[in-house]
Amino acid sequence: MKRRDFIKDIAAGSLLLKLHPSLLAQKKSVPDLAWIHGDSPSLITREALSSLGGAKRFVSRGDVVVVKPNIGWDRTPKLAACTNPEVVKTLVELCLDAGAKEVKIMDNPCNPARRTYVRSGIAAAAKEAGAKVLLPNPHRLKKMALHGEWLKEWEVYTDFVEADKIINVPIAKTHSLSRLTMGMKNWLGALGGNRNQLHQKLDQSMIDLASFFRPCLTVLDGYRILIRNGPQGGRVSDTKLYKTVVAGVDYVAVDAAGATFFDLEPQELPYLRVAHQKGFGEIELEKLIIEKRTL
Amino acid sequence: MKKERSKKYRAIQAVRILSQSIFFILFFYLLLVTHFPGEDYIGRVEIFFHFDPLLAIATFIASRAFFVSFSLAASTVVLTFVLGRVACGWVCPLGSTHQFFSFIFKKSKLLKPKKNGDNRTAWKYYLLIFILVGTLFSLDLVGIFDPLSLLYRSFVASILPAINLGLSAFIGLLYQVNISSLGDTLVQFFENLAVNSVFRQGFFLGVLFIGILFLNLSRERYWCRYLCPLGALLGLISRWNVMKLKIDTKKCIDCWLCTIHCQTQARPYPEEDWKSSECVYCYTCSAICPTSAVSFPLKSKPEEIVRVDLSRRKLIFTSLLGIAAIPFFRLSPATRRASPKLIRPPGALPEKKFLKKCVKCGECMKACPTNGLQPALAEAGPEGIWTPILVPKIGHCEYYCSLCSQVCPTGAIQELTVEEKTKIKIGLAWVNKNTCIPYNLGTPCIVCEEHCPTSPKAIKLVKKEVKLPDGTIKTPLAPVINTDLCIGCGICEAKCPVVDEPAIYVTSVGESRSETNQLLLDIIKEEEGLF
Repeated sequence: MKRRDFIKDIAAGSLLLKLHPSLLAQKKSVPDLAWIHGDSPSLITREALSSLGGAKRFVSRGDVVVVKPNIGWDRTPKLAACTNPEVVKTLVELCLDAGAKEVKIMDNPCNPARRTYVRSGIAAAAKEAGAKVLLPNPHRLKKMALHGEWLKEWEVYTDFVEADKIINVPIAKTHSLSRLTMGMKNWLGALGGNRNQLHQKLDQSMIDLASFFRPCLTVLDGYRILIRNGPQGGRVSDTKLYKTVVAGVDYVAVDAAGATFFDLEPQELPYLRVAHQKGFGEIELEKLIIEKRTL
Repeated sequence: MKKERSKKYRAIQAVRILSQSIFFILFFYLLLVTHFPGEDYIGRVEIFFHFDPLLAIATFIASRAFFVSFSLAASTVVLTFVLGRVACGWVCPLGSTHQFFSFIFKKSKLLKPKKNGDNRTAWKYYLLIFILVGTLFSLDLVGIFDPLSLLYRSFVASILPAINLGLSAFIGLLYQVNISSLGDTLVQFFENLAVNSVFRQGFFLGVLFIGILFLNLSRERYWCRYLCPLGALLGLISRWNVMKLKIDTKKCIDCWLCTIHCQTQARPYPEEDWKSSECVYCYTCSAICPTSAVSFPLKSKPEEIVRVDLSRRKLIFTSLLGIAAIPFFRLSPATRRASPKLIRPPGALPEKKFLKKCVKCGECMKACPTNGLQPALAEAGPEGIWTPILVPKIGHCEYYCSLCSQVCPTGAIQELTVEEKTKIKIGLAWVNKNTCIPYNLGTPCIVCEEHCPTSPKAIKLVKKEVKLPDGTIKTPLAPVINTDLCIGCGICEAKCPVVDEPAIYVTSVGESRSETNQLLLDIIKEEEGLF
């Protein structure tokens, strides 16, 4: 092949890729949200990802991926205070299958980390799937410019910033200040410092954090949701078996979908309204392509 | 005559050093693994203490109750009865520590062993009498002086935290020079060790411990020969001492080396001076003898045990002193009113019983996953120094954790299942409306409510009207405590964003273990009467 031809081919190829990536992909258009209902947390997670085009769409060969579950509380899975361990485990498996070099699991919990990691079931599940489970490392905290409207800078665990890809895996729970805690609220777990002070302007903090962290995918665990006494619960009767996972790239849309788990309109949550106004994502679910399925 | 040191006794000496190392490592290992083991229940990591007859006897007399686990101490008693104080020389981890430092000091010529003995060896017996007289009157001071308690407490509250801080600084350095992968590995390792590194009296306890180690600059194993009350007790128990010192006078060259280097001033030379109740069977004398003149042949024939001369006058005086000291240790305002800061770990016995059993070892403080359990200073009166109290400002009582109750070697904290533990009140939380953010700034906060572990939550959020300095009125959600649901765990205080003096705090009132330290009479709680 002549050099000229080669350059032509490259140019044509890249133009094709840039303008019509779907030409090379499957014919079917990829949905904005995968909304899967079913009995097995691991199967619905798997299905959600394949509906979105498979894990390879998000994770490239050789990537270091950080999966950020909510491991906030010293509670067992049946109390629905932390992300379902099966969901986390499945995501780790999918990332590694997609060629990730390393998958790290980390959160900065409210209760002692060693306890929450173990008792949430997440440490064991993630380790079994081959992830590196990291306790929050104070030496990796770094004050970073967040460029938020209110939060100009804060201490962030650099693990979340240095990773090639981050996947946010929150659980859907009630919360006495933000009403619900899902994907956007989950970023408080990536912070150090006296983060309890952020509650004085929690909605604004969530907006500022959401514009800082860049998850390639958000998977909302709605397998067992917390409907009372949030964000910790404490009794099984505080939870509701909802058997749903919603996944998507648009994290605002994912949280908006989560609001409906609790019979709330996304507009009723101030932080979602503002996030939408700022163009972070869509909250009008009817405008989205949603693939809803029951397994 | 051929001059040669005894190969046999040098070998025995080596075995003895090995034994000391093994027991020290075991002690240290059990200390290190005393933390959340990944499940609700931890094994008998406190087992070392149960072999200690001093703790067993003192706790038994003081509390008038026998704690079954202490039956293991009988083995030490039998061992000592037959063999003498081998436990001091071969097992005791504090003894090994002292000997190690004595060895270092001797090698570095900082300590020059002396030929002449003195009568300070009697001190430890007087100290023992002083402690035991106290226990007769339910004053339990044994934990202050017991070697295992002393060592454990010093390691937990001072030495380990200091090492931890030092290592943390070292790891920080690794990150600065970009060896972060090694740093990460080390951090994960040490995080998993869960060393509690904040102790209010860490410096004080450390100075005390290092001071005791420095005593070895004056005399080898100073603590063991002059001060240790457990050593004194074992000295009194020893009866048979089947291995008896023998000096072959034909070989002996009167060099005094054996007596100069005797670790505990048992004075092997001259033979008739040998005090078998002071001998810890370290075999230094027989190993150091240049002509192999010193040996310890087995002699089952009971001979009279040579003991330290204790003056009857001083014994009576010490006993009287012990009795006279008791009221001084009880001079505390806590006898008039319950101390608000005296928040005991869940499962702790009622205060009076608790003080009779707690040996101040620090096991509970090591096991505490939040570092909230701290050595008391004055909260429990002088007799309660270094007993555990919860300081929620430092760390809270973790809801599903009952480790402190499981590791307590004396039952001062009654063993609880996690289920039982969650039902125990250790105090009550109060909102300080003077500093609470919603009550003052009209700004939302809810951090205490969010962290409250009970279900339903003991902290309710209620709309409160707040007048701001400019006259505007705001109605934020503000915390209000439901005292029936509150268990006093203190996570609200620990996490309160008012950083210097938390705006919500726990006091001991309402604690389940006390009948009197209560807020309301039960009859008032029950129903509304005529009035």
